[in-house]
Amino acid sequence: MTEPDGEHRSSSGTGLLAERTGDYEARGITKSFDEVTVLRDVTVRFRPGEVHALVGENGAGKSTVLKLMAGIYHPDAGSLVLDGQPLPALNPSQAQRRGIYLVPQEPRLMPDLSVTENLYLGALRTRRGTGTVAWRAMYDTTEGLISSVGLRVDPRTAAGRLSLAQQQLLECARALSHGCRIIFFDEPTSPLTAHDAEKLFELMNQLRSEGLTLGFISHRLEEVQEIGDRITVLRDGAVVARAERGTLTRDDLIRAMIGRQLTVMSRSRRSGPGSGPGETRESGGTGAVMLNVDQLSSPPQVNGMSVQVRAREIVGLAGLVGSGRTEFAETIFGIRAPVSGTVQVAGRDITGASPRKCIDAGLVYLAEDRGRSGIFADVDITRNETAAILPRLPRLAGIFIRPRLEQERARDAAQRMDVRASSVGAAMKTLSGGNQQKALLARWMLAEPRVAVLDEPTRGVDIGAKESIYQIIEKLAGEGLAVLVISSELEDLIRVCDRVYAVYEGRIVGELTGPDITPDALGQLVVGAS
Amino acid sequence: MTMAKDAEPVVSARQAASRRWDVAWLGRRREVLVAAAVIIVIAISTAVHSYFWSSANISFIFADSIVVAFLALGESFVMLGRGIDLSVGAIMGMSAIIVGFRIQNHGMTLGPAILLGAAVGIVLGLGNALLVGVTRLPPIIATLGTFSVYSGLEFVVTNGNQVDTIPNSITNLGVNTVLPGVPVILIATLPFFIVAALVLRYTTFGRSIYAVGDDAEAAYRAGIPVQRTLFLTYVIAGLFSGLAGVVFLIHTSGASSTTGNTDNLSAIAAALIGGTALTGGRGGAFGALIGSVFLSATLTALSYLHVSDVWQPAGVGVLVLLAVISDSSGGRPRLRRRSRPARSRPWRSRP
Repeated sequence: MTEPDGEHRSSSGTGLLAERTGDYEARGITKSFDEVTVLRDVTVRFRPGEVHALVGENGAGKSTVLKLMAGIYHPDAGSLVLDGQPLPALNPSQAQRRGIYLVPQEPRLMPDLSVTENLYLGALRTRRGTGTVAWRAMYDTTEGLISSVGLRVDPRTAAGRLSLAQQQLLECARALSHGCRIIFFDEPTSPLTAHDAEKLFELMNQLRSEGLTLGFISHRLEEVQEIGDRITVLRDGAVVARAERGTLTRDDLIRAMIGRQLTVMSRSRRSGPGSGPGETRESGGTGAVMLNVDQLSSPPQVNGMSVQVRAREIVGLAGLVGSGRTEFAETIFGIRAPVSGTVQVAGRDITGASPRKCIDAGLVYLAEDRGRSGIFADVDITRNETAAILPRLPRLAGIFIRPRLEQERARDAAQRMDVRASSVGAAMKTLSGGNQQKALLARWMLAEPRVAVLDEPTRGVDIGAKESIYQIIEKLAGEGLAVLVISSELEDLIRVCDRVYAVYEGRIVGELTGPDITPDALGQLVVGAS
Repeated sequence: MTMAKDAEPVVSARQAASRRWDVAWLGRRREVLVAAAVIIVIAISTAVHSYFWSSANISFIFADSIVVAFLALGESFVMLGRGIDLSVGAIMGMSAIIVGFRIQNHGMTLGPAILLGAAVGIVLGLGNALLVGVTRLPPIIATLGTFSVYSGLEFVVTNGNQVDTIPNSITNLGVNTVLPGVPVILIATLPFFIVAALVLRYTTFGRSIYAVGDDAEAAYRAGIPVQRTLFLTYVIAGLFSGLAGVVFLIHTSGASSTTGNTDNLSAIAAALIGGTALTGGRGGAFGALIGSVFLSATLTALSYLHVSDVWQPAGVGVLVLLAVISDSSGGRPRLRRRSRPARSRPWRSRP
């Protein structure tokens, strides 16, 4: 571990435009929201020609640091120093004019505008004289710009039709087109597949070699170690470690992040159903077939997928983003209409049934995007948990819901799912990502399902909560639930599944069981090789 | 368990229960604020004009506010589901005319009149419900369309006549008082508000409305029948607007082809002032009532202060804008951004 010390490159200079190098430092930053201090005396320095990774648990303050530096928030104390010059209070557009750009966690593009329009948003080029928009010229330069970041699409394509990975690349192109020299990425890889993340890293490497200043946030320690020249670890709003590449091991990082040692990802935990320490799951993991999907199609994303899950079994669905995994789940759960094929839950046909009917038949679906299609952010935990079982709540005179009993149920479920909150009356938005996810698991378990489809159950969840979610899943399977886990993180699937299907272009392209589930084998299958 | 095992997962029921009161109090705070504002308006007006504080005048304010309160109550159901109904005024007008003619020309009594008013409201509300809940038109377009149709029909139905002779046996409800300043009509209509509040808070349907208004996509995925819920909110808005028509007859003892044309905005204003959000998921039945009383007291006060009646629509408009502004700055902006404070976790013990 080394403390950063000042070998300034140009700070003695006058800070003229030409001398800008992009050495950007947050010095002693403190920031509070509503009397909760989220950053305490944080100093981070981003240097040109380096990739600087910020790591830490959810809520450690990583995003807040970048948002402060990009002018979205203002520090309560401390200063921002660009090339040796303290900056005045910034707003995002002023920050951009000084060459600072933050690529947000979810790209904020105008979905109905073209790639070109998004790129030139607010600064459309016009023809001299007439003042009309110079489309031809813009399309031409767009091609050059986007291909320089590795994006190969028609500049006239609507941005909403790009994949998430492509949208991120477009955000990068936008930063470059504004001449930005300092680019921050707020958890860029969490929605990306390994393949797309690799492409993003290539781009970051290329930008680094051009002398740009790069900062990024990540949960994935492998990639932090792979690409970060410098790592800063935050915990509870303070910097707890700084390191250069290669000076910290993975275990060191984890210890710094959570303040203690973890024994996660121990693959040996599950050495096939029955023999592992996975408590009650019985020999062979076999119960009756609970979920039976036969040749389900909803073109173009789902093309004849057959999947079976038995009681007490945890089955994985591995595939890249865009492979049709989520669409498959949505087709089962009545969000998309199936064109052909059948879905049976515990022997009952529910093909094309609405979510309500699916839930009543014993099938629940934990959605991929918890913020957009899971939680009610402003509402308390109780109501979030009971939303799916409103008709089954205890009542007075058969009509009026009894709030106290409702709350008791919610509290019991929250306890079972290990939700950490001040009370079940707390608003959902005050919880961390991991606790929100557990509260949603509680919602679905209250529905007493026989089959649970969990789509990216550990996305955006910190490492401790992740392990706790796995344990919950294993416990539920042990109690007889049939679980289908969808994930793009192969490690997760290997960690938790008895059996894994691989999906590629809406088809099942392979099935692995027990010890055969290896990163190599799965990795081959999900990219369609073999 | 891997981390923070010592942290207490969720607190005891007793603590949770004591918190519930905090939440309940916060939820009611808007109603309390508006009630305080009503008292201030009355106090100032009484200081200027002592007749303002008379049984007859206070009773008039209450009776006057019941008309808008019914419209606002129906509107609240729709707004809680993140919709809007611009036709409530016209539905009230149609109901007042149809019922009024039955009373005037056929000697219909109060009981059947209420049922007829409710029926007219439900039928016209069904129009909106079909357009929004089944055809899935944007509510603002659908109800602007039906507003135009229904207020046009008012001319067709009246055919140049108007309702102007409602027997005293009926209009007395709006004039007679049970206690000084409390008209019979206020007491008679309170049960509607109580039932509506119970439905909203304690039934599956009511809770579904809040869920749909808060996040329709999440609600659908939680198995809540979104379209059916929306459908019903428009029917209920129709029902209360139809009842408002009957109250209108009781209060004004007449109706014409333009009845209700300007009351849409008053209804929305009253609901907003009472704390129901345009963005859905927040508000309640009593807000509609207290918001209407505030509106009515303020407008009456203006005329006592010799402000000409022609200023009234402008006054309502300003109040609507103020309510919306206070809602968006003081309340919770419902942006889907994640730029909220980093989640703090005070309940987690530090390792």
